[in-house]
Amino acid sequence: MSLARRSFRLAPYVEFAKKAIAREATYRFEVFTAIGSFVVRVYLLRMVWIALYSRNAAPSELPLHAIITYSTVALLMGLVLDIDQTRILHDKLHDGSIATDFMKPISVPLYLFSDGTGEVLFHAALIVPSLILALFLVHVDVPSAGVLLAFFVSFLLGYLVGFFINFILNCIAFWTLEIHAAQLILTWVTDLLGGQIIPLVLFPLAFQKFIFALPFAAMFSTPLLIYVGIIKPARYLEVMGLQVMWLAILAVIATFIWRAGAKRVIVQGG
Amino acid sequence: MPIIETRDLKKVFRSIKREPGIGGALSTLFSRTYEEKIAVENVNLSLDAGEVIGYIGPNGAGKSTTIKMLTGILVPSSGTIRVAGIVPHERRRENAHNIGVVFGQRSQLYWDLPLRESFELLRAIYGVPRDRYLQNLKHFSDILDLERFMATPVRQLSLGERMRGDFAAAMLHDPKIVYLDEPTIGLDVVAKEAIRGFISEVNRDRGTTVILTTHDLADVERLSRRIVLIDKGTVIYNGSLERLRTEYGTHRTLVVNLSEPYPEFAIEGAELESREQTTVRLRFDRAKMSAEALIRRVTERYSITDVSIIEPDIESIVRRIYLEGYHQPTPAATSLT
Repeated sequence: MSLARRSFRLAPYVEFAKKAIAREATYRFEVFTAIGSFVVRVYLLRMVWIALYSRNAAPSELPLHAIITYSTVALLMGLVLDIDQTRILHDKLHDGSIATDFMKPISVPLYLFSDGTGEVLFHAALIVPSLILALFLVHVDVPSAGVLLAFFVSFLLGYLVGFFINFILNCIAFWTLEIHAAQLILTWVTDLLGGQIIPLVLFPLAFQKFIFALPFAAMFSTPLLIYVGIIKPARYLEVMGLQVMWLAILAVIATFIWRAGAKRVIVQGG
Repeated sequence: MPIIETRDLKKVFRSIKREPGIGGALSTLFSRTYEEKIAVENVNLSLDAGEVIGYIGPNGAGKSTTIKMLTGILVPSSGTIRVAGIVPHERRRENAHNIGVVFGQRSQLYWDLPLRESFELLRAIYGVPRDRYLQNLKHFSDILDLERFMATPVRQLSLGERMRGDFAAAMLHDPKIVYLDEPTIGLDVVAKEAIRGFISEVNRDRGTTVILTTHDLADVERLSRRIVLIDKGTVIYNGSLERLRTEYGTHRTLVVNLSEPYPEFAIEGAELESREQTTVRLRFDRAKMSAEALIRRVTERYSITDVSIIEPDIESIVRRIYLEGYHQPTPAATSLT
């Protein structure tokens, strides 16, 4: 066996991502409904916040234009973060086709990551047309270039945290084959505690300490609060440090659960 | 030196023992007892490079378990395996370069994408050099007539087209060995023949070693000289098709068309298998009676219009072995090649 064969090759993983993009592009209807439902939700949330703000005293750190910016950017992020990019693992465990992937000279988790990233990149491309449509309905504040850069870095970290949460969840299928219930719970928890719909700064102070420490806040809340300027540059290191910490913890958990699951397949035959 | 060798291969699956009823279901939530099921045991295989073997057995006999261990995705409980000098489950990815796999019931092609895209992906996965890839693709496309549906998404292909695509996919990286798990299942006669032709050509031209599991014994008769019969996890026959036929095909059937229905029809030395109006079928032991003697015996007593002899086919032999078990007629037959 030549050494070249054993060394790592990136080409297959680039190709997996490219094929995932091509695959997603075949579902045109999905694309239109994703954009359509995005526009509807932008409009609805705008109405909700206007109604709420007209009857209550606006919180000083989040005036109406800021909260509308917040919820629109949150929905744009949702185009990417709401995708369960490792759903394919659950499907493969369910129908047993995971065996075929293990017969290939590839790292299966890396394959799942590339495939998921391709899927996400395709959906990320939808952000531009969605944003243009949204601008007909709402005004979106644009922060300084420095804040924008911090936002994108934090968003990327949030994406990776989300990837590992989804990956761990889908790995549960190694044992149970079904993950619907767990997935529903996760959706509720991320909706509520992730800060996608309601900014976490609106929660009671005592509760905030607790939820800011959870990994769900690392997905939506941290980049969003950077964007609207509630998290000041002085705290960037701290909040992104927390995101990195969660990323590391989840990566370790994911590694263990994957190894245990893969061992189950190759020792127990799935 | 053999390219595939297994020694006393054994795989035991452990599963939770479930008690019947709701009470039993609840009790398994808290206390678990495990039961062990032996999937395969004492499997000794040895294949030379370029050989084609038929790996035959009823459902649940352990065929797929053996194949999974050979591909390295299942770890044996005991025993050893070497495939092209590698222990598959210890070096799964390296082993993957040496093998190609086709499952009749499962496709490795990308469902949503045109066939060609799946091939491109496999080229990247195995790192096949572009010129070699194009050369192989052209070759397989000619034999399997893939060009017509190369641009069609896989989900729109017929089963026969998809299988042809899967065969090309499994061979693109020039594997030394291919494992074919029921590759002709569900195919029509024409597609079956196309697939068989492809396997035989690949074996002849490239010297690819083939392990073929199938329920369709016509595949085996067409493609391999040697078969391994497995039942309840153990190998019960390992040798040539001819030997099985002569050892086991001891009984032939004489079909006699009588000129009038004889209600009392009977012949000593032959067993009456069936009768329909004036057609009777007689089963007889070739060692005890020749066909000529039997025909003479029939014609001495009855007036007939026609006779014909049916040689035992491999399918009926195998069916009988499943039902009755394999009895080695001579001690020599137990040696495993």
